[in-house]
Amino acid sequence: MDCSLVRTLVHRYCAGEENWVDSRTIYVGHREPPPGAEAYIPQRHPDNRIVSSKYTFWNFIPKNLFEQFRRIANFYFLIIFLVQLIIDTPTSPVTSGLPLFFVITVTAIKQTHYAVQDTKGFHTAEDIDGLHATIECEQPQPDLYKFVGRINVYNDRNDPVVRPLGSENLLLRGATLKNTEKIFGVAIYTGMETKMALNYQSKSQKRSAVEKSMNVFLIVYLCILISKALINTILKYVWQSEPFRDEPWYNQKTESERQRNLFLRAFTDFLAFMVLFNYIIPVSMYVTVEMQKFLGSYFITWDEEMFDEDTGEGPLVNTSDLNEELGQVEYIFTDKTGTLTENNMEFKECCIEGHVYVPHAVCNGQVLPGTSGIDMIDSSPGAGAREREELFFRALCLCHTIQVKDDDDVDGPRKSPDSGKSCVYISSSPDEVALVEGVQRLGFTYLRLKDNYMEILNRENDVERFELLEILSFDSVRRRMSVIVKSATGEIYLFCKGADSSIFPRVIEGKVDQIRARVERNAVEGLRTLCVAYKRLIPEEYEGVCALLQAAKVALQDRERKLAEAYEQVEKDLILLGATAVEDRLQEKAADTIEALQKAGIKVWVLTGDKMETAAATCYACKLFRRNTQLLELTTKKIEEQSLHDVLFELSKTVLRHSGSLTRDNFSGLSADMQDYGLIIDGAALSLIMKPREDGSCGNYRELFLEICRNCSAVLCCRMAPLQKAQIVKLIKLSKEHPITLAVGDGANDVSMILEAHVGIGVIGKEGRQAARNSDYAVPKFKHLKKMLLVHGHFYYIRISELVQYFFYKNVCFIFPQFLYQFFCGFSQQTLYDTAYLTLYNISFTSLPILLYSLMEQHVSIDTLRRDPSLYRDIAKNALLRWRVFIYWTFLGVFDALVFFFGAYFMFENTTVTSNGQIFGNWTFGTLVFTVMVFTVTLKLALDTHYWTWINHFVIWGSLLFYVVFSLLWGGIIWPFLNYQRMYYVFIQMLSSGPAWLLIILLITVSLLPDVLKKVLSRQLWPSATERVQSTCVRGQDCLPELTLLAYPQSPSPWAVWPGPHTKQGTLMWSPLAGLLHSHRHPGPAPHGGPTGGQATSPSL
Amino acid sequence: MTWSATARGAHQPDNTAFTQQRLPAWQPLLSASIALPLFFCAGLAFIGLGLGLFYSSNGIKELEYDYTGNPGTGNCSACALADRDRAPPLRCSCSWYFSLPELFPGPVYLYYELTNFYQNNRRYSVSRDDTQLSGLPSALRHPANECAPYQRRASGLPIAPCGAIANSLFNDSFSLWHQRQPGGPYVEVPLDRTGIAWWTDCHVKFRNPPLVNGSLALAFRGTAPPPNWPRPVYELSPDPNNTGFINQDFVVWMRTAALPTFRKLYARIRQGNYSTGLPRGAYLVNITYNYPVRAFGGHKLIVFSNISWMGGKNPFLGIAYLVVGSLCILMGFVMLVVYIRYQDQNDEDEDEE
Repeated sequence: MDCSLVRTLVHRYCAGEENWVDSRTIYVGHREPPPGAEAYIPQRHPDNRIVSSKYTFWNFIPKNLFEQFRRIANFYFLIIFLVQLIIDTPTSPVTSGLPLFFVITVTAIKQTHYAVQDTKGFHTAEDIDGLHATIECEQPQPDLYKFVGRINVYNDRNDPVVRPLGSENLLLRGATLKNTEKIFGVAIYTGMETKMALNYQSKSQKRSAVEKSMNVFLIVYLCILISKALINTILKYVWQSEPFRDEPWYNQKTESERQRNLFLRAFTDFLAFMVLFNYIIPVSMYVTVEMQKFLGSYFITWDEEMFDEDTGEGPLVNTSDLNEELGQVEYIFTDKTGTLTENNMEFKECCIEGHVYVPHAVCNGQVLPGTSGIDMIDSSPGAGAREREELFFRALCLCHTIQVKDDDDVDGPRKSPDSGKSCVYISSSPDEVALVEGVQRLGFTYLRLKDNYMEILNRENDVERFELLEILSFDSVRRRMSVIVKSATGEIYLFCKGADSSIFPRVIEGKVDQIRARVERNAVEGLRTLCVAYKRLIPEEYEGVCALLQAAKVALQDRERKLAEAYEQVEKDLILLGATAVEDRLQEKAADTIEALQKAGIKVWVLTGDKMETAAATCYACKLFRRNTQLLELTTKKIEEQSLHDVLFELSKTVLRHSGSLTRDNFSGLSADMQDYGLIIDGAALSLIMKPREDGSCGNYRELFLEICRNCSAVLCCRMAPLQKAQIVKLIKLSKEHPITLAVGDGANDVSMILEAHVGIGVIGKEGRQAARNSDYAVPKFKHLKKMLLVHGHFYYIRISELVQYFFYKNVCFIFPQFLYQFFCGFSQQTLYDTAYLTLYNISFTSLPILLYSLMEQHVSIDTLRRDPSLYRDIAKNALLRWRVFIYWTFLGVFDALVFFFGAYFMFENTTVTSNGQIFGNWTFGTLVFTVMVFTVTLKLALDTHYWTWINHFVIWGSLLFYVVFSLLWGGIIWPFLNYQRMYYVFIQMLSSGPAWLLIILLITVSLLPDVLKKVLSRQLWPSATERVQSTCVRGQDCLPELTLLAYPQSPSPWAVWPGPHTKQGTLMWSPLAGLLHSHRHPGPAPHGGPTGGQATSPSL
Repeated sequence: MTWSATARGAHQPDNTAFTQQRLPAWQPLLSASIALPLFFCAGLAFIGLGLGLFYSSNGIKELEYDYTGNPGTGNCSACALADRDRAPPLRCSCSWYFSLPELFPGPVYLYYELTNFYQNNRRYSVSRDDTQLSGLPSALRHPANECAPYQRRASGLPIAPCGAIANSLFNDSFSLWHQRQPGGPYVEVPLDRTGIAWWTDCHVKFRNPPLVNGSLALAFRGTAPPPNWPRPVYELSPDPNNTGFINQDFVVWMRTAALPTFRKLYARIRQGNYSTGLPRGAYLVNITYNYPVRAFGGHKLIVFSNISWMGGKNPFLGIAYLVVGSLCILMGFVMLVVYIRYQDQNDEDEDEE
């Protein structure tokens, strides 16, 4: 087609006055159309520069600062800092300014990581001299796979030639040119209008459950902070009501202080108390959490076990915000094709008119002796049948969108079509490649598409040429595709292939029953089946068809609908030729992974577009369903028999009756005798459930459905449209327990579900990088999910939850003594600690141990976690950040603070603690409290550390040493830049006192005692599964004691089998239609690349 | 916040123990079998230490007398009446008679104690200028703003030493007299007024301004003493090594106390016959009563105390050690019971599995 002449750079479209127009017109070469054609509107489109980064060199600092201060926490710290600058506060502005500066700097550095990329599109310098045309197209929109436009080519004096432009004519930004030297292109969307640019921004920010808990805790602490400040302010004024307290003779006020308004004074005091206690909301927690997530996520990318040697791909981390969410997953929604299976199709058999052909035993039409398997199941067909057979093979050779490539430097699925030649087939659908290859082995080789002629090599080694007239491309609604070709003899054929359900109703002739039986059998075995049909068109008919299609194609509005209608009219009255079966192998260890995930208490749902039988077979093969699983069906067929209402109630009765009598966890996986349920639901039934009922009681069915799902260990959703996948994820996500969901998929049709779920994981598959790019994490294979969740997720969760709890704890320890001290200093906002201590406590004395803990901690070993998936349940439902735990930590902090303060208080009360009779002052008091505190909180972390590498030793003992050295230094010198020398020799004097040492030891012991006691007792009395495993390991027993206990009785064959009548296949079978399902996913190669064979690979972001 | 992991592309990740999270590590476990001996050992050690501390604290003698002079409490009441309305200190003296039935073992330290005095009040405790006190001549005449309202006199003269702390310097003085024989004359016991402040304070942190023509008084010319002081800072003591900013009474006072009730060291008794302590007999403390405390509801006490290696009398540490030690033992027993009872159960559980 001529329009291949004009490839267009897709660019997004700029807002402005054009926004309200439905379509835009581009004048190729900026030349006016011939007079009278249309009014020429001068063009004004944005300049072709894309700033995909958030920042430029110039605006980085102000914009980044603005962004950062928009975060509520940073804003809070800024306010505190400003208050300190403005009013007379007890602490110097440095104490909060320095940490704030630190946080801002670290965050900014982290953001520069990805900020400095600024892309420019390219300008085509070449003029398209010979072409005088306009292009009309739709306004820019973010959907990458949709484009509607048309080109008007003006010839001299004639009416313009109109040609349709679809997404196959569109080059997205970043596309690379292959197989051709040059193309002609017209930029239609430029700069920030490109589809790619639009897609950049549309990702929504996901927040993890831990982060949500953290924010709730922050609010609690904010309340505590405010109430502390309020209490102190009120008490201060009550206490000061006696004038001799407010202004004793030894401490008189200045005149201006006396005259200040009472309320202003009270407000200033309130702010001063806020400033004094503001450290209870730890500014450094944010930076530590950020650093922990940022650095911690490297462990995923570094993981050798998640590196796939075959593809050379390792895991990708697209966001580090959700690391810990990987440890909280309760539902996994997985795509089937390409995720559970390899998406590596192999042509298994074909059935022509009821005769079954198995290609691997047949070569060039001749049976090879000695090969195993059956060449043809039935006896040789007669002559008429042979004609049909050849027609079938030709149909398979012609009805596809494959391109042939000589070069082997290509992406995407490929196989050598012929050992003699070095060319490969490329298609966005692996099924098509498998089919064409299979047919090749049966004697018909597709050679190439040249000058719009498809060439095939038949069994006699003759080249047959077919003119390609039309392609009725695939879509997921029709679930079929067709080509119209003209043979050398001038006969016009329409070949159609598609899902059985979409072919059979349009067939008027052929051995439907036999083929249907075979198709169903294959589906049950998990093979992907396709049906092939044809019809012969007489030239007049073709003319009609051609006009019909052309009219639909050039339509700018409702093109999709018009095309669908046209296709519907063309693809009818077909003659059924036969069916094919393609196998898609299960991915390596997919069954093992699913089993492990289920033992971890995760419910696995398979969402697929395949038909029920195929999908169910897969589910059996990957042990999602087991032999003892009772299957519940909620399918269209069943709903036709009974009403939806009855079916639902019946199912829920079945499920609930059983679970009622069940005491153990429904799918603890430990007892083999318990009944578990698997639910199968199809897309149509799902949409019925989701549809609000007329009487308004819309929630009912959903609740009932959710109730059933909750009691099923596995759910299979088949015949799902891409959007329904997202819908079901959303349904579960918003159900009343608010479970954490994870979606995993490999194709573009999984993107919506990946974006919808709490955690989206892309499998870096054969279908391009759409899913991987939109995901939060990407893994090369499904099996890597096991380590990702059970090991990495588990670690990240316990690490970050300890991090969060510990930060609050250590700041309670830090600030509560300050609060208590107010009661002994006349509520005068006197600080207990020196400025240096206030500033450095969080950013250096106690920061590194917890950061390293949160990077390195392994409470049980990696191998144990992997071998005992049930440990994952120990941390389910945000177990380490529940209120109980939070309150425990807070009270521990308060207790410790009381111990520090009153220990020091009773020590200092009325006596000297030195052997020379000299007296210590308030700074020694504060330093003593501070020393005890630094040691206690560090040792508390040491108690919690289960994995002491040399790094942990280094930072824990190192930071204690650093504190001591710093204190010696800080107090050992008269610092010339300070205007006070209150710390001079304070620390050294303190250490020279014996009782101070004794007190430090005593107070540290007392502070740690309750926690030690609690740990020991709870380990002894109520050990969690994790603690049991830990103890077992310590006792020197086998660390993997439950390996055999947890394993299910293995089925004798490596694959579990669909318990149907035809089940003696030893290998894994895979499912139908995916080829067709997939072909719409790709923006990739245009199906008929034009005479030059120019093609584009999908752009990489 | 998003970031992209550096695409390692086709590169295999580094296989190091660190990147694979397989660094060799010590994996301790806080189980009952470890905690039990630990608790018992710690408990016993604490009890032992506590007993030692307790007896050592009990061996320390302390003698204190409240000379605030609230009505009917000895002859300081007369002086106290005068300070009711914060009159400028008038030279009033009173005395405290006491007798020691036995030797008060030395070395004996004389403290004064104030109650309800908030040296740790923020406004008060910042009201000083460490730069001035370090003897810097420029700072001497330009006291820091924190000193206000004791920064400059009404005449504009800078106050040296400035600030509320200096201004409120404790100015009662004591002398101790011993009557060796009943009815005999009272002999003055020598009080050593040095060595009462931190060595680093009066030798490094506090320095007098450089002498002008060999005279400290000239060095302080152009400054005024704090308003409450009857005499300038260079006349605090006749001893040239103990006057000015390095006067030890002053230095002691400038180290602000942690709590509103505090003691400060006044003198050490370690000379002559009294180096071993205060022998038995009658004693008299002559008090020059200057310092007003009743205005803010405070008390003034005079305290004799001797000192052990662990400082003054403070039973707290010993008792605390005893209590914590006993708690450890008690917890140890609780754990032992739990350990024995539930150990079997756990083993059974495991066997079952």
